[in-house]
Amino acid sequence: MKEKVIVASDLCRQFEIDDVIVDAINNINLTVEEGEFISIYGVSGAGKTTLLNLIGALDKPTSGKIVVFNHDLGTYDENFLATFRSAYIGFVFQSYNLISTLTAVENIAFVIELAGWSKERIKNRSETLLKLVGLEHRGNHFPAQLSGGERQRVAFARALANDPPLLLADEPTGNLDMETGVEIVSILEKIKEKGKTVILATHDEKLLKLASRSLFLKDGRLTDR
Amino acid sequence: MSEISFPIKDLARRKTQTTLTIFGLAISTAATLFLIIFGSNLGFEIMFLAKGGRLTSGFSNIFFQFILIVSILNILTGPIITSFLVHLTMSGRRQDIGVMKACGCLSGSIFAYFVTELSLLVFFSSLIGIIFGVAAYYFSTIFLNVSGFSISQTLNLGTILIICIVLIIFSHIFGALPISKAAKAKPTEAMSPIYQLGTTAALGKKIPSKLGLTFKAAFRNLLRRKSATSQAIICFTVVLTLTTVTIVGGMIANQTTTSYVERAIGRNIVLVGHLTLMERYVNLLSRFFEEKEMQQIDYLDHEFLISESLVSKLADIPGVRKVDARLVLENSVREVPGIVLDPIEQTTAVIIGDSRSNEALILGVEAEKVVNDWLIFGRKLGKNDQESTVIGDSLAVNMFDDPQNQSIKIFDESLLAYSIVGVCVDPLNNGKVVYMPIETLYNDLGQQGYNLLFLQIDASEKSQVLAQIENEVSEENLNFVELDTVLDKHVNFLNNIWSLVMFLPLFSLATATISLLSYLMLSISGQQHEFGIMRALGAKPRTIMKIVFSQALIIILVSGAIGISGGLFITFRFLIPDPVISQSILISVSAWLLVILGLLCASSLYPARKAVKKTVVDAISTL
Repeated sequence: MKEKVIVASDLCRQFEIDDVIVDAINNINLTVEEGEFISIYGVSGAGKTTLLNLIGALDKPTSGKIVVFNHDLGTYDENFLATFRSAYIGFVFQSYNLISTLTAVENIAFVIELAGWSKERIKNRSETLLKLVGLEHRGNHFPAQLSGGERQRVAFARALANDPPLLLADEPTGNLDMETGVEIVSILEKIKEKGKTVILATHDEKLLKLASRSLFLKDGRLTDR
Repeated sequence: MSEISFPIKDLARRKTQTTLTIFGLAISTAATLFLIIFGSNLGFEIMFLAKGGRLTSGFSNIFFQFILIVSILNILTGPIITSFLVHLTMSGRRQDIGVMKACGCLSGSIFAYFVTELSLLVFFSSLIGIIFGVAAYYFSTIFLNVSGFSISQTLNLGTILIICIVLIIFSHIFGALPISKAAKAKPTEAMSPIYQLGTTAALGKKIPSKLGLTFKAAFRNLLRRKSATSQAIICFTVVLTLTTVTIVGGMIANQTTTSYVERAIGRNIVLVGHLTLMERYVNLLSRFFEEKEMQQIDYLDHEFLISESLVSKLADIPGVRKVDARLVLENSVREVPGIVLDPIEQTTAVIIGDSRSNEALILGVEAEKVVNDWLIFGRKLGKNDQESTVIGDSLAVNMFDDPQNQSIKIFDESLLAYSIVGVCVDPLNNGKVVYMPIETLYNDLGQQGYNLLFLQIDASEKSQVLAQIENEVSEENLNFVELDTVLDKHVNFLNNIWSLVMFLPLFSLATATISLLSYLMLSISGQQHEFGIMRALGAKPRTIMKIVFSQALIIILVSGAIGISGGLFITFRFLIPDPVISQSILISVSAWLLVILGLLCASSLYPARKAVKKTVVDAISTL
């Protein structure tokens, strides 16, 4: 039997904006097993990013429980959560979120530098990942010197840098054209082949085909399509 | 939207940035204003002391140079900090300018919008700065006046106006520069972070890899944010130069002036003479810190003369190391012009000086028995000197053009003029003194004898020696006094003036700290998004704090190295020509400099903590 990687029970996340309470995530129950490729489909504002933030230990629930790799994320402090993210989670953001003052190769190396890898290993790993995403010739370029697709490929390489067991991708093709989107799909396929657990938030129906299971999110609730 | 409402709304919506900029600029304006008006009033106070004849020319020079250099540095520091903060804020707006250009807004309109924003920021911060600066000035003068000084509380509105105009002009020049650049740039360039940060790839390759992740990240960040980093370094270098000059210069100048006085008066010196003459001498020596009315007396009155037998008896007392017998009198002295080679042509001779006269204290001394050790420019009187003199610094400055190439007439009716071999710094009669060989004075006067004795005694046997001196002098109806009490009053007086002057470095240090805080807060608010990404990737809050701290540390160390060296150079090259530096002062100076750097580093912990207060999600979504 496969290990349960994510268990969310009665998960809620509310935001207070100008005295108005907004339910971004409302009573979600979810279980994800090791090696699953899950896609979360929903229109803009459905709560996909908030759900990924909760799973990725970037945010804490207002109520309910989120257990990832047997850690109840709502109970830990920021220091522990940082270590947790470094060890278990690879993040790909819709807006790439590369560090603008670091070159492509340095953006990838940053994650494994944090994990305390040796200089030689960092160099080898960064170069391997750049090759994997087809950007070995752009390593010394800054994010501002890369196209949107290239930035997203660097973001994928960075997310895979310390070989995390869980990859969270938040609308990875959201800011890209169709052609560049295809490049991202091919990277996701490579990741899928490696047997990693992947959760992909998207409103791009083409990406749903990659998933072993698709979940539908509407107004913060998981629904049948 | 009207031309004024856009900038106002824009500033109001960017609350944090606007508050930080206004706060930083206001503090910078307040500190500059305070330092200049307070410094100039201190200068007037010291000028009053000097003009009142209470300080010798040598001492006044040191005080004046100090106040002058500190004031120049203050005047430089204010606009540099102000322009730096404005530049930093306006550089952050380049991306917005790019977006506006991309939307079709004309360059002229964009420039006008953002310059209006700049003017609003500068206007409000100047207003708040003036209020704080004037309040700090009143608070400090009240505090000092309560502590026994008499600092004028008059405010020179003209000075305030000039300072404000200078700061406003500088702020506009330096703030309008990035606006104008961005307004002229292509929209793609203006929107690019590379253009905004002055990012360079080449510099990144030179980063030492053995420094550890946080230090490396900080180093990289600073190198890549080239324009902001270089501006920060220039700013802190000037501030730290000012702080070093004021603290190190102040401490060393204090010790140097104290040492001049100690050498000139001497330690463990007992003055013996007739009560009237002794009181007169002590009054002349104390003119330095208290002015008293003095009646005319005849120094050569037989009643005041001391017998040779008493001199011998006192010299024989065990514990009396040296007996310096002098003939002292007050007289009018006259300058004698000198002849020197023309400094330009070098072939013809020119006459220098005039025939100015002044009242002075004449002291006939036996060169080899003198108990004092003045700071002398030139040379001391030697045993074989017959027609030579050493004159006091005030006499040299006020009465001569080039004393060592001129001579002096002690008695107007005499035909003899004496060469001047040295100039000494002496608080006696405020530096209006002439030391000459006693035999020569006898010849000029046609009269012999001593009227004052200076005994250098052994401090370990003080009470016994003093008892024996009392026995001997009382038999001849004379008195004695320990000059240490007078010396201590001199030292206290100097310490008081310096403690007054040292108020300035405290405020320069506060300025440095506030500038660093403002820079870091602005810089962090610009980096918040990237810190959010780093935390999302697994960087602990401590790591982010270390990065911020390391950034501050690098800037402080680089600007500290340049600023402190520059400050020390200015201090020793221009401030104090012949400094006295003891081991204890070296330790104090080093400790102070370390405290300054430590304080600056510690002050960066606050913005470092602020950097991790936001949640990761909030930090990432910060633009």
